[in-house]
Amino acid sequence: MSADGWYLYGVVEAPPGPLDVEPDVELVTEGPLAGVTSRVSLDEFGDTALSERLGDAVWLEENIRRHEQVLERVLASTTVLPCRFCTVYRTEADVRRFLSERQDQLTAALAEVSGRVELGVKAFVDPERFAAGGAQENEQIRELTAQTAQAEGGRAYLESRRLERLVGDERARFGQEAASQLHSRLLDAAERGVLLDLQRPELSGRDEEMVLNGAYLVSDRPGFERELAALAAELSSRGLELELTGPWPPYNFVSEELRG
Amino acid sequence: MSSDLRPDLRQQVTLLDLVDRVLNKGVVLSGDITLSVADVDLVYVGLRVLLASVATLEEQGMPVAIGDALR
Repeated sequence: MSADGWYLYGVVEAPPGPLDVEPDVELVTEGPLAGVTSRVSLDEFGDTALSERLGDAVWLEENIRRHEQVLERVLASTTVLPCRFCTVYRTEADVRRFLSERQDQLTAALAEVSGRVELGVKAFVDPERFAAGGAQENEQIRELTAQTAQAEGGRAYLESRRLERLVGDERARFGQEAASQLHSRLLDAAERGVLLDLQRPELSGRDEEMVLNGAYLVSDRPGFERELAALAAELSSRGLELELTGPWPPYNFVSEELRG
Repeated sequence: MSSDLRPDLRQQVTLLDLVDRVLNKGVVLSGDITLSVADVDLVYVGLRVLLASVATLEEQGMPVAIGDALR
């Protein structure tokens, strides 16, 4: 009874060669491009039904993960330009019209990311390891640490508070410096890079302070990972920790004119 | 960690990383699609708030699946 709609996950060059995708994923080919789609029920994905679904967190999480999974399986074989969540057309003809109307922009955008993947890099400063490591490179902090260890009573308290403040300031300075050093060295190892919003501790799932949240468009992945490992080795004794995510479809490198 | 070469390199994807990309980036279309761009924008903002409040609950020792938070 319900009509089908077409969920568009992303766009690839046609023909893409064999893809190892979920059984319900279909390619809709139009000229030199193909849409990665699956048929969805408009009872679930039509405008009124969908706006209700969007308040259902279980449904959302499931479908966000599915969107990403479909794209990651395509990404394993070919370059894919990711569409935003819940891009749903009413008919196959609408999908084809989109592919042909925006053919030039889509082809150019695909060429820009062809053979490249997006890697995410996050950097954190661990306060305790910084206090024992990076902070001790500061002479004033070293002296005060020694004094505090010998002081007694009220003086010990005051000095340890002063030390804490100093270490905090030094940590903020180190975080900024490390972030800009990381970003510039990673940019050299990548084709492009962007800085994303930093995630507060309750959102990042880590207690340490995030100092860098970057996305990089990378063609030489082993080279990029070697540079990252070298940076980790240089900076970890001072309290810096790095996290690598991806490869992602190049979400952060879709040209502006295709971003609405 | 067994390898000395990569002491602090860990691979981890949080739901937030996913949400920040899948709902906020990628090709955005207006026109023939069933859902307006503004609708997805709203969902994105709502989900970020939800994730923050779930994380806060978990910090207080109350583990929750994000789906439970809206019930």
